Amino acid sequence: MPNPFETKKTPTGTQLFVRGSLDINSAPALAEEIDKIVATKPQKVECDLSGLDLIDSSGVAALVKLYKGVRSAGGAITITGARDQPLAIFKLLRMDKVFNL
Amino acid sequence: MATIRLTVPGTLRFRSIAVRVVAEAARLVSGSAARDPNDPLDNDVRDPFDTAVVSAFMEIFNNVAIHAYKRKDVGTIQIAITPAEAELVIEIEDHGHPFDIDGVAPLPEELDAESLPEGGMGIHIAKTMLDEVTYEPGPPNLWRLCKRLPATQPDVAREAGRT
Repeated sequence: MPNPFETKKTPTGTQLFVRGSLDINSAPALAEEIDKIVATKPQKVECDLSGLDLIDSSGVAALVKLYKGVRSAGGAITITGARDQPLAIFKLLRMDKVFNL
Repeated sequence: MATIRLTVPGTLRFRSIAVRVVAEAARLVSGSAARDPNDPLDNDVRDPFDTAVVSAFMEIFNNVAIHAYKRKDVGTIQIAITPAEAELVIEIEDHGHPFDIDGVAPLPEELDAESLPEGGMGIHIAKTMLDEVTYEPGPPNLWRLCKRLPATQPDVAREAGRT
């Protein structure tokens, strides 16, 4: 199964596109990628969830790890494009306001 | 409607099969249409009823595979899905270790960038999304999930979704 994410370098940081299903089976691979992203201490990370159809608590945990990691390294992060089931999960967990969705 | 019964090995490898069956059963009750009926691998879940059922089921399946069977291929998960006119009941049975549902910590009252949780959200999602979540430790351990359609959902809209 292909990883449900893709990264692109930008002059100031990284763009991360997450698509398909981010769940307990796919989140560990994303968590490894997040470690690599955070290690570069990017000024800015843009996380695009517009292609994300399904998420579970493991997927949410991976995105929380990204959010905290980038900020603790002094960078800024934007999370955009959440819709349908993923947006419902973020709202239920009250993370929509923290992530400014 | 008759009960749909599915038995899968109790590992995360078989999770997606069970999730797809549950998603289709949810659509039977909600009357929602798949985004692309010709794409059986589509992960689309948009209807609020389907969203609640699938989200909760994914978390309970994860819980069984991780806590009951400790991520090992040592048992099966028996799933009984009973669609009705206005509700869906899912029973999930395993023969692994019992889960301490009372030991699940609640989410923080106030959530900010520092207090964002990185775990312990699954049971909260299931309980909040559904009308009923009960757990009887065993073995066999038995989860019972129930989601009802809102009483105000117009029949016309439901019928339209079935076409």
